[in-house]
Amino acid sequence: MARAWPIIILALAAPVLAAESGVTEDGVTWLKKMATASRQLNYTGTFVYRHTTQTETSRIVHYVNQAGGEFEKMETLDGPAREVIRTNDQVICYLPESRTVLIEKRGKRRFPALVPEQLTGVANNYVISVTETDRVAGHECRVILLVPKDKMRYGHRFCAEIASGLPLRARTLNEKNELLESFAFTQLTIGGSFNRDRVRSNYAAKSKDWRVDHSAFSIAETPADTGWVLTQRPAGFRKLTELTRSFAGRAAKVSHIVYSDGLAAVSVFIEPMSKTRPLQSLSHQGAVNIYTRTVSDYMVTVLGEAPAATVMQIANSLEYRGAQGR
Amino acid sequence: MDKISALMDGELDDRQAREQLVRLKQDEELAGCWHTFHVIGDALRGEPVLSQGFNRRLADRLNEEPTVLAPQRREVKRMTAYALSAAASVSAVALVGWIAFVNNPFAPQAELAKAPAATTLPPATSNAPQLASVPNDGRMNEYLIAHQGFSPSTSIQGVVPYIRTVSGAQQEKGR
Repeated sequence: MARAWPIIILALAAPVLAAESGVTEDGVTWLKKMATASRQLNYTGTFVYRHTTQTETSRIVHYVNQAGGEFEKMETLDGPAREVIRTNDQVICYLPESRTVLIEKRGKRRFPALVPEQLTGVANNYVISVTETDRVAGHECRVILLVPKDKMRYGHRFCAEIASGLPLRARTLNEKNELLESFAFTQLTIGGSFNRDRVRSNYAAKSKDWRVDHSAFSIAETPADTGWVLTQRPAGFRKLTELTRSFAGRAAKVSHIVYSDGLAAVSVFIEPMSKTRPLQSLSHQGAVNIYTRTVSDYMVTVLGEAPAATVMQIANSLEYRGAQGR
Repeated sequence: MDKISALMDGELDDRQAREQLVRLKQDEELAGCWHTFHVIGDALRGEPVLSQGFNRRLADRLNEEPTVLAPQRREVKRMTAYALSAAASVSAVALVGWIAFVNNPFAPQAELAKAPAATTLPPATSNAPQLASVPNDGRMNEYLIAHQGFSPSTSIQGVVPYIRTVSGAQQEKGR
């Protein structure tokens, strides 16, 4: 209870403060600063991902070359080795244990900068406040709090490095203010000497004969009116994009619609039912909830970093209206 | 053998399915095949492999369930078929049986693993109005990676959220 009080007071006080002293504006500025810093800075560090009772430590290197090309390498340090390599808009996951490579490549929408439209969404759906300073991995940082205005989304607590704005810690909290998931640096060096070799894959050469899953190549992805609509869109969520795409091992095209409240996103995947009727199921991965159900002859999978109720509401209010049903 | 795999894929009509179920019950070797097919299927889909003797325990438990006396009892064979298919799709029952972790994200993982065997299964007749949430077992990874790029949170944190897609917790379950 004692922990809940400051939140309530903040939630009540923030709109007033916003009107009088522009605190919300300041919060939005910090969000922009975080997004810019994580794209433009060279840094290397170790971070811990925590979810349920698990913690996983990973090493990350982020490098931007003279031409503005962005390269990122993340390798897990605990358990089986896994590696994620990002080269501009392409993300490759190497899973040596299962000898699998997952490739995701897309057009310019990948890693979008936070556009003003999104920031308006964030400000409409969350009370943003810039609070105390803290210290993470030896760096002083500013706490930016996003308290959801309703139960359709989770709360977020960022700590951004004071000078650059680089997010050093990100926590996702449920409506009871319990931690669902957190990412936090335990060691971090910003700047220093960098070159392309530091962000090269350890597995690129070895993985030649692994199973490659081109989950989504840009060729297979086309903007489309899928004909699917939501009869009960969760408050604050807008349609971000709608397209059809291919997945490896699936003959039929999959419709993909993304809804977002500015910060959280929920993806809807719709595909023709396979021979065996899938069961209704609900699962989670950290702050991401995943819900699968059937709608007439289609299998619907909805997932996103939003409460199960939000994900399920989207799944349960999907309706096929055909091409003119926009 | 091919009939058995057709049965598994749900390709047989009622009459054929009944015939095959009768065969399954009489032929131990065939029943073994049936079991193996499911284990292979589970492994291919990356579903958690259940502990030794799970089927036996589940069947025992189903036997212990009070019989629901419906006003009109349909043919007994049909009931058997349902029970069998329920036992076969063990993952489905495990899914419902697992405790909801949504509200208790830090519930011990170890308990989770043994949950299907240790906790009381809900009555087979219940409609399960509330769906229990289970940890992602990696089956949704291709969706997860496809989703990640659209999420505004990724624009704040870069590649870091992709750790969800390659999380070790899923891999451990696949073993």
